[in-house]
Amino acid sequence: MNIDITSIRDILKDTSRKLLGRANIVATGIGYKITKGEKTSDLSIVCSVKEKLPASQLSKKDMVPATINGTPTDVLETGPIRAFPARTDRWRPAPGGVSIGHRDITAGTLGCLVKKNGQTFILSNNHVLANSNNAQPGDPILQPGPIDGGKWPNDRIAELHEFVEIVFLAPEPPGDCGVARGVASLLSGIAKIVGSKSRLRAVNIRAVENLVDAAIARPFNEQDVSNEILEIGTIKGLSQGELGMAIKKSGRTTELTTGEIQQVNVTVNVQYGTGLIASFTDQLMAGAMSQGGDSGSAVLDNTDNLVGLLFAGSDTTTIINRIENVFSALGLGL
Amino acid sequence: MSPSIQEIKEKHAGRFLAMPGVVSVGIGRDPDGKPVIIVGLDGPHPQTQKKLPRVLDDYPVHVEIIGPVKAQ
Repeated sequence: MNIDITSIRDILKDTSRKLLGRANIVATGIGYKITKGEKTSDLSIVCSVKEKLPASQLSKKDMVPATINGTPTDVLETGPIRAFPARTDRWRPAPGGVSIGHRDITAGTLGCLVKKNGQTFILSNNHVLANSNNAQPGDPILQPGPIDGGKWPNDRIAELHEFVEIVFLAPEPPGDCGVARGVASLLSGIAKIVGSKSRLRAVNIRAVENLVDAAIARPFNEQDVSNEILEIGTIKGLSQGELGMAIKKSGRTTELTTGEIQQVNVTVNVQYGTGLIASFTDQLMAGAMSQGGDSGSAVLDNTDNLVGLLFAGSDTTTIINRIENVFSALGLGL
Repeated sequence: MSPSIQEIKEKHAGRFLAMPGVVSVGIGRDPDGKPVIIVGLDGPHPQTQKKLPRVLDDYPVHVEIIGPVKAQ
């Protein structure tokens, strides 16, 4: 058979709308007809269907005719065709790199899956899964996060299991011109005051320094989460961040981005919402590779080893917890 | 033995962070690959920039304006 493609195009143009109106047909196009699994040299009008059904289950008007104006047809089962889902959509199973959050926050990023005592947990930041200390174990975690349309109870994917408390600097008293660093809260179990208690001026009391902004949540159903990180794949192992190391992350807002560790041993004051500041030490700093909503992203090296947990940034920098500090604070493994 | 750059940074970080505008103190490299102490500011602060030392125990101190650091 020898039908030229231009005439088939004209036939398709006239009939595609009609074909797409039939139940089950999701796409039409021109391709070589496949007979018994083998591609033939005959051009055909290919009708893609959600599922191939026996003729007995189809009404006559929904059936694909064997030929249309003399051109053979072919039926291809593709399943339903959807737009590639966004990171802010609902994902089941949910991989690393998609929107997630505690019921009372906006949204952050699902970092990756980790293990504790043989159980699987979702790793992200305290300020993503535990609302910056304002949460209780058992609180619902939504995927996507609330600002992305996640609603309780339909979108709950996990419950908060454990978080490392963030110790905030006490707010500066008014009129103090920002000189005093403030006395840090002593409530945390990890609180450690360095320096003499006999000193009287607040400015001499070294503030409590945090190492991580981290929390884990337990999925209600292990089938609802995936070991993959979007656009990265699976984690190969752990690695220590070093100066000059090339890194990448996969996050809710800026998706896959790359950068380089430009500073180590970083002590940094980080703003949380309005007015709250927490001091972190032993952090990694990279150039700009994230924005709001990327918090909680897993940070990996070029060979897919896990290096850190992203949690903060400025216009020109990204601040990352060392993964070894995250794992030791929460007793985690891969 | 002379102190390491980590020890020097730890010793002075608290004092630098108490200066107006200082938001970070870390260890990086200069364009030649030599270790330097890097002080990050949330914006221009001429007084603080004047007060910060250029060198600490033979390690150069660089100042960079990085902007306010926020949880994301």
